[in-house]
Amino acid sequence: MPPAVEIAGLTRVYPSAGKGAPPRTALDGVDLVVDSGEVHGLLGPNGAGKTTLCKILATVLLPTAGVARIDGLDVVSRAREVRSRIGIVFGGERGLYTRLTARQNLGYWAALYRVPRRAAIPRIAALLDRVGLADRADQRVETYSRGMKQRLHLARGLVADQRVLILDEPTTGMDPVAAHDFRALVGALRAEGRTVLLTTHDMAEAEAICDRVTMIDGGRLLGTEDPHTIGSWISAFERVDAQPVSAELAAALATLDGVGEIEPIGDGAVRVHTTAEGATHAVLRALVDAGVSTITTGRPSLEEVYLHVVGARGLAV
Amino acid sequence: MTIATRLWHTGFVAGVRLQLAIFRRGVDYFLALVTVPLFTIAFLAITRHAGRPDLTSYAVLAPAIVAVVGMAILTSGEVVTDDRAHGRLELALAAPSPFPVIVLGRVVTVTIVSLVAVLEAWLVAWVVFGVTVPVPHVAAFIGTLAITALAMAGTALLMSAVFVAARSARTFQNTISYPLYLLGGAFVPVSLLPGFLQPLCRIVFLSWATDLLRSCLSARAVVNFWPRLGAIAALGLIGFVTGCVVLVYVVNRARATGRVGHE
Repeated sequence: MPPAVEIAGLTRVYPSAGKGAPPRTALDGVDLVVDSGEVHGLLGPNGAGKTTLCKILATVLLPTAGVARIDGLDVVSRAREVRSRIGIVFGGERGLYTRLTARQNLGYWAALYRVPRRAAIPRIAALLDRVGLADRADQRVETYSRGMKQRLHLARGLVADQRVLILDEPTTGMDPVAAHDFRALVGALRAEGRTVLLTTHDMAEAEAICDRVTMIDGGRLLGTEDPHTIGSWISAFERVDAQPVSAELAAALATLDGVGEIEPIGDGAVRVHTTAEGATHAVLRALVDAGVSTITTGRPSLEEVYLHVVGARGLAV
Repeated sequence: MTIATRLWHTGFVAGVRLQLAIFRRGVDYFLALVTVPLFTIAFLAITRHAGRPDLTSYAVLAPAIVAVVGMAILTSGEVVTDDRAHGRLELALAAPSPFPVIVLGRVVTVTIVSLVAVLEAWLVAWVVFGVTVPVPHVAAFIGTLAITALAMAGTALLMSAVFVAARSARTFQNTISYPLYLLGGAFVPVSLLPGFLQPLCRIVFLSWATDLLRSCLSARAVVNFWPRLGAIAALGLIGFVTGCVVLVYVVNRARATGRVGHE
């Protein structure tokens, strides 16, 4: 059986946007394999090339070079067959007929995916129930919250019972509760044996729901990691802001194991950057013992993790 | 597989059902119908003042044709530009149903619904001026209206292709109407236009349609009904086929250039 998603040497160059502007390379020789039944995360900052990759897989954008296949079918030469096999969920609130109801929206998309009307009616009802919209199914989408619209998007992506789902930043703008529910839904899809390729810039999300996570930046894949590795990065590269911190205390903190940089941030405050799991605990203890009372901790941004991990490996992933 | 099932599978029925659902949720698409009473009153007032009751049927028919054309142009533009602006165009292109057929389903729905403008114009003439415009050849008139609506939908598909290709399609949308009204003989019969324009008019399906509709409103026998009806259908079909080809081309080009979505 071929992999659900198979990408080799995929390149996409956008033409020059104007006079003097160079062409922009959004994807640069990307290779990726997603096995059937896998939830695969594509982790990268904005502009990394995630959406371009999704659009090529969705057949709405042609690659400049390379090959992409869904279930062994080329997305360019066999686009029509590919379209029947994949469900697409682009992030954000767009993509719905907001004056229509959720049921009407799903009815339309079911027809476009050639689901027989007799089968579509119960399937739509079941999907609306599954994504928690059954009670609001016959209300206009324009009255929905952002999280509800996103859940409707997911239902739309499943309306033809597709086995391969491409979710592009599906939790963008969701509140934490809605995002949590959404992740539970993705877990249920995995349990059904569906393949999910999910793009995100949220490391915690990638860690929580993916079987494997591939990092991408600047159109190039940086490597594929186990989600537990992502989790260890999150806890390793935390930062602690504290105030007031004397020069002596700052010097003492710098000697602790797993402490990287001590960064002054003004008004006697410092930001302590950790580089190893457990270091935050030691830093907090030292600060409290020294009588520092204004302390906050924060998770690293994706860019910071890239700087630490990828920089240390010199992109040789 | 029945014809209905096949149409369902091509996305045509999906387009029809979507457009009907949109109609039920908003009046935007019906704005052209608001102009029908105004035009009808203006044209009838002119023919009355000129003492030309023989032109009454012309004065009543013109506003209806203007509304049919106006709604088709509006829809062909809105279907694409609105879907693009709201992120639906990419999703439609990613679906297995061919995009031109989805658009056709929506435009056909609009043009058929727009025929209500004919009843509206007749009603206004009766209510405001007490004028009843007889239709001596009812079957031929209804048949011509139906074929005209379908031909209009085919031509509108061609316009949709322009809207996919052009980002500033509103300008095209706003400027195409009046040339089409003129060359289509909506206001003035083609035979009354300057001679050099008349050959050009004959490649516009609407000119055949308006002439035939006027003939159907005359007490005299309709001459060459079938060939004239065939001309409307053939030109509409040419518009439809050309629209399909151009739409597929511009969609593929948009896929290549990455300009499908809204930026």
